[in-house]
Amino acid sequence: MSDPLHTQLCEKLGIEYPVVAFTHCKDVAVAVINSGGFAVLGEAMHTPDHIAEDIKWIRDRVGGKPFGIDLVLPAAAPEEKTVEELMAMIPQQQRDFEQAIKKKYDVPEPKDAPDLHTWGGLDQKRALDQLEVIFDEKVPVFASGLGSPAFILDRAHQLGMQVWGLVGKPRQAKKQIAAGTDVIIAQGYDAAGHTGTIGTFSIVPQVVDAARGTGVPVIAAGGITTGRHLAAALALGADGVWTGSLWLASRESDLNQPLKERLIEAGTEDAVFSNCISGYTMRTTRSPWHDEWASADAPPVLKPPLQMMLSSDYIQGSLDYQRKDLMTEAAGQGIHYITEMKPARQILSDLVEEALDVFDAFADDDE
Amino acid sequence: MRASNEETHTPPYKSGFNPDYKGKRAECDGGGRMPDSKHAGRQDFAGTLTGDYRDFGDYPWRWYLMNQLTLKPDNFPQQAVWCDEGSLEFPDD
Repeated sequence: MSDPLHTQLCEKLGIEYPVVAFTHCKDVAVAVINSGGFAVLGEAMHTPDHIAEDIKWIRDRVGGKPFGIDLVLPAAAPEEKTVEELMAMIPQQQRDFEQAIKKKYDVPEPKDAPDLHTWGGLDQKRALDQLEVIFDEKVPVFASGLGSPAFILDRAHQLGMQVWGLVGKPRQAKKQIAAGTDVIIAQGYDAAGHTGTIGTFSIVPQVVDAARGTGVPVIAAGGITTGRHLAAALALGADGVWTGSLWLASRESDLNQPLKERLIEAGTEDAVFSNCISGYTMRTTRSPWHDEWASADAPPVLKPPLQMMLSSDYIQGSLDYQRKDLMTEAAGQGIHYITEMKPARQILSDLVEEALDVFDAFADDDE
Repeated sequence: MRASNEETHTPPYKSGFNPDYKGKRAECDGGGRMPDSKHAGRQDFAGTLTGDYRDFGDYPWRWYLMNQLTLKPDNFPQQAVWCDEGSLEFPDD
């Protein structure tokens, strides 16, 4: 039996294992890359200068191995309003409820006020400014966490870069494959954050079917935290897995220690799909903020981005003062399997070993 | 909370009009970044294009205005939305 983990994705990237770590922590990214996997660093929040510094930092530590950068390319934007206009739109009822939660749980004020950006047209300009760094640095892989990267494909390919697109629907995959996207990430409902509504086990084979015969590898995303998930994803026809929650509590992760402990304690049912953080439904770990907004006497959740403005002080205060009892973080349903704080290298080797055990077991059954 | 709107006065785009898209039904697999967060939100829209567009950058990265929305997220406050051309689908084509 040939190596079942050596997939088309491994060939395309020159990596040992078909495991992609999506992380906001560059230490995690470097550890995974140097252990035989691949890593994509989420940089949507950062300035162009910050992104350039992070790219150099990674390059100095991975010895020429490839890596990726993820940005958010917005795909829909309402008419613009300034933060001041938006703040004035928050009704007193919801302001009072926020204050009552803070008082009830003794939520500290953040050390530094969250820096809110304007909403709307500037998102495009911000994304374009960030993209220029990606092109200047000829980053090996650019991944679009949201939005179609079709408009940059020609330029990226001229520079020898790969462009990956993350999709939540089969039709998005078909469109991106037709446009020339190099790798498709099929993300299911189990995933952390704002996801589509189709489960991982349903969307992955549909996207694999859409990519059949095109040579475009498909990566499965959403709830993947064990070697059994990796083996199952490959059995569905995927060429690799995209993992996020898996690395949140790793030793290298820059999340603060109480939040890592909270994530280790959390089970699948703690990864709740709620609109109380941003106004749109997203998967995050349960916290008092979630419980209060789900209570019978809670006012209606505000429309985006007002709800995020309301929740940002609570979230930042919990982090600044290491209040584990208040903390929340985006996490997928696979968080159940995050049970200890391990080095990234060990997380990857455990994942690979378990997947190989699965394939060995199937091979043994055939004998 | 601190606010920042110093960049709002100079539009970072060029406006135009495409008559071929005026009155065309469309769907948009849309969404964008959540302000002050590392997260992005997915949103689905359906409606009618006006033909108005905005080009960002030199590519260009073209965005069309969709109104008469027949599908939008529950909490979406506006009656119109700008959509990335690459994220549009045309159900009548």
